[in-house]
Amino acid sequence: MIHLYGVVEELAELPPAVVGVDEGPLERHRVEGLELIVSRTVERNDVTQAAVLSHANVVEELMARSGAVLPARFGHTFTDEQELAAAVKTKASELARGLKLVRGCLEFGLRALSGDGASQNTPGEPSGRDYMRTRLAEEKARQRLAEELHEPLARLSRASTRFGGASRDLLQAAYLVPRRYVAAFGDEVRRLEAAHADLTIVCTGPWPPYTFAANGEGEA
Amino acid sequence: MSMSEQQTLKHQVTLLELVDRVLNRGVVVSGDITLSVADVDLVYVGLRVLLSSVATLEESRERISATGAGP
Repeated sequence: MIHLYGVVEELAELPPAVVGVDEGPLERHRVEGLELIVSRTVERNDVTQAAVLSHANVVEELMARSGAVLPARFGHTFTDEQELAAAVKTKASELARGLKLVRGCLEFGLRALSGDGASQNTPGEPSGRDYMRTRLAEEKARQRLAEELHEPLARLSRASTRFGGASRDLLQAAYLVPRRYVAAFGDEVRRLEAAHADLTIVCTGPWPPYTFAANGEGEA
Repeated sequence: MSMSEQQTLKHQVTLLELVDRVLNRGVVVSGDITLSVADVDLVYVGLRVLLSSVATLEESRERISATGAGP
């Protein structure tokens, strides 16, 4: 079986001494002008902690050595080269577009959690209508706050996505940031943290552009 | 929230973001993803166990870079 890590551009050399899922050595394959990084696995991949971390590790190593990387989603193994080549062929133009989008960029994740007890109940017995009105006002304030956090970061990004997220998350988002804006992005996160000390803001990254890898799909 | 609680939370969020990216994002080259929902649930169950012990995460990451990485 063949496990795909991603599509790369301008990879000088395979990361030395890095093995893939099941400790398989990495291989380069070229299909329709696209370079794929794969390894052989014994069986179809089980979703284990070790396999997931191996996949992530390989993608990060590729990221450090390539002009652009389009990370593959974990979860599909190909029976042989023919199946892999056929799958890539049907997606070649989307993959090329995806590579163009992510080139020169790093991905950052942001989660903002509001402090505990954000919605304090007013003392006494509020009427149903008052309760609904209060909740509505709170929800609007949350949305405004989320937008205040998201907007300045999105402005520094080539692309950005907001997720629904768990209810405690005020904002869950991902940003595709050109390398030359990464320092400014970091400054902006620190400014937001200082300006909103009551919130827990967690910025993660730099990540390989997993979130934006499929963005080449369906776009002209 | 204390500093160490903050740190623990940041570790947890980072791990969650990692697993979310590897399993739910990234490009799907083939038409189908053979992961069943049950598999994913299992990973998340495993993840929750893992989340309770940040030390475990550190260990497994170190182990992976030890088997893999060059300098």
